[in-house]
Amino acid sequence: MKPNRTFPVRLARMVWPALLLCTLKLGPATRGFAQEKAGTTTSPWAIQVEPVQADEGQLPPDFAMAIYEDLIAQLTKTEKFQQVFRSGDHEADGVPNLLVLHMTLQNFERGNQTKRAVTTVAGATKVQVHLKVTTRDGNAVVDKDVQGTVRIFGENLKATFALAGSIAATLRDASLPAPSKGAGQ
Amino acid sequence: MPTSRQNTRSCILLLLPMVFSLCAGLFAQTAETSASTSTSGVRAMHVLGLEGVKRNLRGTLSVQPGGLDFMAGGAHGTVAVSSIEDVFTAQDSHQVGGKVLTVAKMGVPYGGGRALSLFTHEKVDSLTVEYRDATGGLHGVLFTMPMGQAEGLKKQLVDAGAHASIPVASPSEKPDAGGTKQ
Repeated sequence: MKPNRTFPVRLARMVWPALLLCTLKLGPATRGFAQEKAGTTTSPWAIQVEPVQADEGQLPPDFAMAIYEDLIAQLTKTEKFQQVFRSGDHEADGVPNLLVLHMTLQNFERGNQTKRAVTTVAGATKVQVHLKVTTRDGNAVVDKDVQGTVRIFGENLKATFALAGSIAATLRDASLPAPSKGAGQ
Repeated sequence: MPTSRQNTRSCILLLLPMVFSLCAGLFAQTAETSASTSTSGVRAMHVLGLEGVKRNLRGTLSVQPGGLDFMAGGAHGTVAVSSIEDVFTAQDSHQVGGKVLTVAKMGVPYGGGRALSLFTHEKVDSLTVEYRDATGGLHGVLFTMPMGQAEGLKKQLVDAGAHASIPVASPSEKPDAGGTKQ
């Protein structure tokens, strides 16, 4: 015989996906915050962020700018670097221990939020860049491919936030060499 | 004693009005914002980049003699026309209703929420402005607004003296969907 479920039980069954969503969203955020607080050691380096280099027509300007701005915000939040400079900032010229962050676009796929919401498997937005952090004399300190993706929830631009977060995490966890006397000059 | 089917029906009856009232409110707001294009500015959302203004804040975006001006409640941000290096417009579509509607849609049984997603999206214009600060640092500001408004703002900015690598599209031309550099 089929059990006769009461209204609260039925309602609870419908509410659990919402609770699951909250857990999924809050979990990584709090975990990331805890890791960030535990593992942050300020390096003697400052960093200058250059915008993403891409062939013409490969990356929409709004995505390029969102990656750049998100990255500056996230790098500042890690407190790994003495200072975070923007591209072209003259104040960076006199800083002795300066790293320069270059990004080259590897792959960009523009998804569709409605497709994601309807199918949950299709319509992902992906951005992949090649990350290269060099000293002023050209020595590569970090050389890696990093990807940002939005798969189910969120607007297309959320991929840029994910990418910036991955790059910031990569740099936060990277062991940077001690600046040599002539490295920053 | 209510049967299982009656319970399901009552749940749907409880959730659907909530979802539809949210949608109705959002569509009404969109229609209102579309109609409010005037010299006083357009309703826009600050996505990122403006100094001293929180992200995802809705307000009024206008072109003043001094530059691009965004006002939202107590928050205020300006970008001087002389510092603007480039202006881009693009189009995108997104789901309306934010997190509240997303969660509400998840509560609709039998995948009804997914079907509802087909009707809860809207096309938006985006306006990207690149500018340099006093020390030469590159900044990017991104706004979204109801469709068909970004090109007008770009034209006003270019008329005021801002530099744009892509010329302003004439009304007959369709704006580039990707907003890519040419």
